[in-house]
Amino acid sequence: MAERAEPVLPVRTGWPLLAVLRRMAAMPLRDPFAFTGLLIYVLFVLVALFADQLAPTDPLEILFTKAGKLAANVPPSLDFPLGTTNLGRDIYAQLVHGTRSALAVGLSAAIIVAIVGTVVGLVAGYFGGMVDAVLMRIADMALSLPFLPFVIVLTGFLGASTSNIVLAVALLLWPNSARVIRSQVLTLRERAYVEAARVTGASSWRILFVHIAPNILPLSFVYAAIAIGWAIITEASVSFLGFGDSESVSWGYMLQDAFSSQALSRGQYAWFVPPGVCIILVVVAGFFISRGYEEVFMPRLRGR
Amino acid sequence: MRKLKVAAALGLAAVGVAALGLATAAFAQGASERVRKINLYTWPQAALPQSYQASQLIAQQWRQLGLDVEVKPLQRQAQTQLIWFSRDKWDATMWRMVGRPERSDPDEFLYSLYHSSYAEKGYNFIGYINPEYDKLAEKQRTQLDRDERRKTAFAMQEIINRDQPQAFLVHPKYPLAFNKAVFKEDTVVNQSGIGIRNIWTFLKIEPLGAQKDLIINSNETINATNPLYIGGAVDSWVTDLIWDRVMRIGPDGMPQPWAAESVSWADDKTVDVKLRAGMKWHDGKPVTVEDVIFSFEAPAGDKAPMYKPFVTDIAKIEKTGDLGLRFTLKQPNTTFLTASLAKINLIPKHIWEPVLKDLAGKPETAEQLKEVSWIGSGPFKMVRWKPTEEILLERNGEHFAAPKIERWIMRIVPNAEATLGMLKRGELNFIGIFGGDPEVLVKFAKENPDIAIRSEVDIGFEYVAFNNRRPPFDDVAFRRALSLAIDRRLMVSAAWQDYAIPANSHVSPVLTFWHDPAVDQLKTGIAEAKKILKDAGYRVVGGKLYYPVGKQEKLTTE
Amino acid sequence: MKLVLERFTHNALALLAVTTILFFMFRLMPGTPLAAFINENLNADQQQAMLEQFGLDRPMWQQYFIYLGNLVQGEFGLSFFQRRPVLDILLEVLPNSLILTLASLIIAYIFGVLAGAWLAWKRGSWIERVAVPAVLATRAAPEFWIGMVLLALLSFNAGWFPSGGASSPGLAYTNNWQRIASWDYLHHLALPVLTLALYLQGLPLLLMRSNMLEVMHEEFVTMARMKGFSEWRIVINHAARNALLPVVTAFALGVGLSMGGNVVIETVFSWPGIGRLLVQAVSVHDYPLAQGAFLMIALVLALMNFVADLLYMVLDPRVSHGRKG
Repeated sequence: MAERAEPVLPVRTGWPLLAVLRRMAAMPLRDPFAFTGLLIYVLFVLVALFADQLAPTDPLEILFTKAGKLAANVPPSLDFPLGTTNLGRDIYAQLVHGTRSALAVGLSAAIIVAIVGTVVGLVAGYFGGMVDAVLMRIADMALSLPFLPFVIVLTGFLGASTSNIVLAVALLLWPNSARVIRSQVLTLRERAYVEAARVTGASSWRILFVHIAPNILPLSFVYAAIAIGWAIITEASVSFLGFGDSESVSWGYMLQDAFSSQALSRGQYAWFVPPGVCIILVVVAGFFISRGYEEVFMPRLRGR
Repeated sequence: MRKLKVAAALGLAAVGVAALGLATAAFAQGASERVRKINLYTWPQAALPQSYQASQLIAQQWRQLGLDVEVKPLQRQAQTQLIWFSRDKWDATMWRMVGRPERSDPDEFLYSLYHSSYAEKGYNFIGYINPEYDKLAEKQRTQLDRDERRKTAFAMQEIINRDQPQAFLVHPKYPLAFNKAVFKEDTVVNQSGIGIRNIWTFLKIEPLGAQKDLIINSNETINATNPLYIGGAVDSWVTDLIWDRVMRIGPDGMPQPWAAESVSWADDKTVDVKLRAGMKWHDGKPVTVEDVIFSFEAPAGDKAPMYKPFVTDIAKIEKTGDLGLRFTLKQPNTTFLTASLAKINLIPKHIWEPVLKDLAGKPETAEQLKEVSWIGSGPFKMVRWKPTEEILLERNGEHFAAPKIERWIMRIVPNAEATLGMLKRGELNFIGIFGGDPEVLVKFAKENPDIAIRSEVDIGFEYVAFNNRRPPFDDVAFRRALSLAIDRRLMVSAAWQDYAIPANSHVSPVLTFWHDPAVDQLKTGIAEAKKILKDAGYRVVGGKLYYPVGKQEKLTTE
Repeated sequence: MKLVLERFTHNALALLAVTTILFFMFRLMPGTPLAAFINENLNADQQQAMLEQFGLDRPMWQQYFIYLGNLVQGEFGLSFFQRRPVLDILLEVLPNSLILTLASLIIAYIFGVLAGAWLAWKRGSWIERVAVPAVLATRAAPEFWIGMVLLALLSFNAGWFPSGGASSPGLAYTNNWQRIASWDYLHHLALPVLTLALYLQGLPLLLMRSNMLEVMHEEFVTMARMKGFSEWRIVINHAARNALLPVVTAFALGVGLSMGGNVVIETVFSWPGIGRLLVQAVSVHDYPLAQGAFLMIALVLALMNFVADLLYMVLDPRVSHGRKG
């Protein structure tokens, strides 16, 4: 039914965990999208790891000129590749150090979403009945909360900390992955090899985690990759609206600062363009990767 | 991640220094306690960038004294909760007092900020208790002789300068703008300590050509247009124009008769008022003495809690003629003209009496009544109001000070970028408040020759409040040292980007008559600050500050 | 019909859950809501009176039922600062938000569907290789940032569009319809709509494209091809019609979803909508107003979820016949 040049490995038999992992690792080499995505990720992870070496200036340090005046709105130069803000901070240093907070937000949200979504999806799909009904109602509930407004209200009132933002994002994103994983589990549990395992007397939990779970790992991965992007954009939006964590430098914080300090009117493109581009790159990398994996593992999910 | 590392490094350093400190302290003259870490609360950068920047710079300077300082930004709600409602739980915080026309009389700041009766619940949230100051604060209220009162005000400023219950930082300078291709430049009036956004400008400003509307911006929504309730900072810009008052604060900061031909003190508890003849409400009915008396009696009940404090000093009001009335006060109060006669909105009895009667016995107050009536007697009439978009007033041609412009339109524009864009496109022709970087506005005016800028030093001020209740801030020497450690010129240049002047008094220098120039000479510097601490017995061991021997405290930094 | 009722109850229950979560979220916030009033004029008695007035002195469960009862009657309470009914404030700005959302979605979906169909048709060409990542990038860009850049370029620099707001100063209209149909309103609407549409077009485009790719291999398309119909005619007449169905459902869902996302766009463009109202209310801690704005957005979302469910049932025969209650 699906037209595609590459052969698709159908989800027909139970794969051992190792095989799945090996396949997942090899996949980017065959899909240019996923390869580009991974390349972008690797690049940003490197920047985050070596941020102190790449930009030795503290991003929040107030800089002064040799004459003792505030080094405000310095145009891009060798010392300050992207110039300084109107309150004398090094924009390049903020951009580089912002990578850390972006990855921290993105990865922690992604991990929570992947774990919660996977476990809920597995349990609901496999056990069915009341458990399933209750879990899916909770998922519906979470899905009927308006996304950004909820995050704003939560951080606006509970306090503007990065962990609150991550929490809010994770709270709203797990149901998507749980739902899809559940439906996948529903088909998997009827498969012959699962049946076989059941007949040989394997316990439910063993079947669930040893025979079924590895097969939905790629799915968890896809949703985690998407969650990274969502979390980063959400953090940026919330920071932009002024509800962000004012002690951690993130790209959203930079954009908020630039907008309220009127970098636009001043024509300081070097201040407000790079953080936006970085956000796009990281988020799009997530899309690319998830797309690449979908093409290979779940042809029917493309484009969703 | 960075924070963690810093914390770890600090932790290690602290252990090392503590060990070193203990060893050295043991050799020194007996053990003494280290000054605990100080939390300096501030607003998030997104909310008030200048104050945030100032707090960072201040922390840097305090650390040079051997103090541990942590800058903690708090959202408005959390900060209010802590500073205002948990008065014994904090050490130091950034704070600000804003300028308002009625604050042109120094009483509000002189009295409320430091009088001990306000320490528990009112404006004296820093808990400064000084009987000597209290006496002077009460005395200046009774001094009808301006020169005598001025002496008292000077003495009060000197006490505050000596005790430094907080560290004044700056009086900000707010640049405002208007389009001089639309309005005649010399018809714009500067009100001292307030700037060009004031009722005198709106009355006198003259259009040059076909555009006869003044279009001003506001960065917040107007909450209420109610003569008995002020819900936010910009509300009063509108109520000022719709409702007259017996007196008004003039461009020079002094109260002058407005709806009155004359206002005079008969003795130190009696004020005689003669109303202007021929005034009319917007519905055509005449303004009578009964209306004026009603306006002052209405807030006395419990239906207008916000205006009630301004009439509590009135013992009685009598009609003395067709246009005459006499106020008798419970006690001599020199601020009565500013704080009451120039504050209370005159409202028509025929409209509000039934409304207030209807409220009697109900829990609601007149504050919840929205849009009961926009009938005033002021120079502008309300036409329509869309709270999130604009408010539109038109001139009242029959007013004794009828404005030259046809309509006064206020647009709600929350962001600064859009404000500039609209000024450029002519969608605005008067900037009444500018939330962005002042430098950008000034530069914008340079590139657009039609735009004129006016800046004025504010009556209000920005400061670091010290909690005088708690050690170490209960010690004058400590407070003085911390205040002197702050370089005020750095505050002006690096935090307020030169749109401010240094401050060391709660009476702004723009109030030239009341401001004591003697306190301007605050000699700041780290060396000076260190010397004060040393003289008071504080010691620096291993780079950390220790209390004088014998001084102990049981508090912890939260 | 039974199914319709079921979907309705389902969505209604979800909404009830949202209101419950919201209630407890607001009540468990640190600090009393009264802290929002710094006012030396309020003494302890008056503060108490205010607590009573807002029902904040009762036990939590009582407050909850008072709250639910009020909501059912459309009583959202009084704004702390504006001192007038929250519902009035909300209804004043709701049309602006709905118009912004609908206009953007319609433009986004018309463009997205056409471009998606076209891209499917161009499968394998260099156009596709460039276009797909480009579309993904528009989905990855933060809306407010796109807005900032467009505002800087098209309004501040080029001067083609107003810098914000929904109308020019001082204009009066006899009614809301006249206002919405005016050139001035549309001129103000253009830039925010463009920004939002740019963000929204990605979903229908990709969805349409992948549906088309699937449909084009279904039997009836092959049949048509065998009958010798031209390729483009096949795309329009046969494939597109079938591929469109899921897109229509996505549209209904999109209305609800993007109402929430409008928050940032409305802030960038000073658009007097419900999102900006929410942001303002949260930043000054006007609890009743923030709560009301949030509920209004949630209500639109639930309503649109219901509509999407219905559309899905109508359009996809498999659901209405094959599904068990």
